[in-house]
Amino acid sequence: MEIAYFLGCIMNNRYPGVEKATRKLFEALDIELKDMEGASCCPAPGVFGSFDEETWATIAARNLTIAEDMGADIMTECNGCFGSLFECNHMLKEDEDKKAEINKNLAEIGREYKGTINVKHFAQILRDDVGYEKLASLIEKPLDLNVAVHYGCHFLKPTETIGIEDQAENPSILDELVEITGAKSVDYKDKMMCCGAGGGLRSRDLDVTTSFTKEKLDHMTEAGVDAIVNVCPFCHLQFDQGQVEVNEKYGTDFALPVFHLAQLYGLAMGLSPEELTFDAQRIDATPALAKALGENAK
Amino acid sequence: MIIRGVFSMSIVNRLKNLFKGEKEEKDIKADVSNTSDDVEVTSKRTVDVSVSFEKKEDGSKELAFKKDIETLEGDKIEKETVVSVSKTEEVSSEEIVEETKAVEEVEVSVDGESESDIIVEESAEEVEEASEEVDADEIEENSNKDTKGDNMTLLTDKELLNDSNRDPDFTAEFIDAGIETVKHCFQCGTCSGSCPSGRRTPYKVRQIVRKCLLGLKEEVISDDALWMCTTCYTCQERCLRSVKIVEIIKKARNIAAHAGYMAKPHKMTGVFVMNTGHGVPINDATKALRAKIGLSEIPPTTHAYPEALAEVQKICKLTGFDELIGYDEATGGLKE
Repeated sequence: MEIAYFLGCIMNNRYPGVEKATRKLFEALDIELKDMEGASCCPAPGVFGSFDEETWATIAARNLTIAEDMGADIMTECNGCFGSLFECNHMLKEDEDKKAEINKNLAEIGREYKGTINVKHFAQILRDDVGYEKLASLIEKPLDLNVAVHYGCHFLKPTETIGIEDQAENPSILDELVEITGAKSVDYKDKMMCCGAGGGLRSRDLDVTTSFTKEKLDHMTEAGVDAIVNVCPFCHLQFDQGQVEVNEKYGTDFALPVFHLAQLYGLAMGLSPEELTFDAQRIDATPALAKALGENAK
Repeated sequence: MIIRGVFSMSIVNRLKNLFKGEKEEKDIKADVSNTSDDVEVTSKRTVDVSVSFEKKEDGSKELAFKKDIETLEGDKIEKETVVSVSKTEEVSSEEIVEETKAVEEVEVSVDGESESDIIVEESAEEVEEASEEVDADEIEENSNKDTKGDNMTLLTDKELLNDSNRDPDFTAEFIDAGIETVKHCFQCGTCSGSCPSGRRTPYKVRQIVRKCLLGLKEEVISDDALWMCTTCYTCQERCLRSVKIVEIIKKARNIAAHAGYMAKPHKMTGVFVMNTGHGVPINDATKALRAKIGLSEIPPTTHAYPEALAEVQKICKLTGFDELIGYDEATGGLKE
């Protein structure tokens, strides 16, 4: 099996430990991740999608054509990238007029969108293409960790177009994937609420975004978790960098380290915290890592 | 589209359409529109009021009020609503008879697609053995008091919607973009009730959807709250009418952006993409981090392939995105 690996922006340019963990995981799964050479920003649905749909669709379609040329389905580990690429692919497959309009633009750079590939989310591939049994066989160190799972918005929604089988308002896919590692997914109030970063809000009005994140952190902390697990580098950034901003603004002392699901698997497969670049994250993950690996008991 | 099937604020809109098509400047008497909104309600309330009277005074009463509305021709349509309450010895024996006092037929055409006759009916409730009159002003005062602070209406005392506020082309942009579901909204408010942004900002998603349908372009695109949506889709998932709410918001934002309502930080994200192909470009710290953990220092993206970046830049010029954000090619920043 071959997959066109779409990197996007935030993961590879800010949290490379997520990329490292993913490459190791898929190596172990014997699935080849092929680089999409020259791929760009997805582009961000909240910014480009909110400004100019044609630009958004043309840049997204350009990324899609790279995978089409490779003859492989796309995998992304970012909800924002998933939202843009999936929605654009869906739109162009459904709407011939739109496809013609976008292809007119793409022709100017010598490309053509054909509609021959699918766009998949990392977590979707783990559940539907790899399977829980195979994943479980990779776990070297079952993790002792209570986590708050954050689904993010552009993963299962809008359900009208996104085909991932689950219930958008009461999903289970990520909780199941988390628990394969030995970690426990703890329920918390308003679990499905947005982190606050999306839709261009973080860059436009940080105070509002921060108040979203504060509410999420309040609820996660009340549930007594050791860490946050997400499947979106932008949510990841918002909980990591944004947590510092919450503490500064509200005088709080939240200290919930943030794990991308790939990092959680990396840890359970025996990768070091340094390889997963936890040392470069804003919120100190040391206590949670020690607990997860059972080093407190030693 | 037939207004009658869509609007819940029927009287207001029927009245609005009553005046539609008139070219002369309208002079609707202050608060008349607002008052007329309450005609039905007032009538019902009047019944209650008079019932309480009858208990106290043991007499029959008649309630009546009049409203004058100046039409464009200068004629006055007199609307008279008479409410009487029957007074008999036992409350259970009261009979209420509805009588239609005025019927007005109006030709209505919305978004130029269809026409339909809308019948505006002013019905009054009349009860036998009526006698006492109640001051119309008093009733009006009561009804105004009750509607104060009612955020379920677009109308306040200070706002009066008329055709000069409306831009049918604005509404048509949503339809043309394939978001026909904007017409399906029946204003239940599930969206606003579900909205995490609405809990903390002036963002009222239900109201924006309404304004988009009414064609209140300037109100929608000039409102900073339009940008408070995180596109979390909670509203859209819960919408009873399957209205593509997030698509409506994004379309409204597109129109706003093209009309010049664009925040500088958003333009800067566009600048980053035009300069590097990435909204969040790599930095030296991450380069070092990548090298340290055995990844290529530069990811195999537009960062590593200048010809790929050139393609992205060409797309942005083709679609006019560079002009839209005010990109200055000479400096690689924004024009000031």
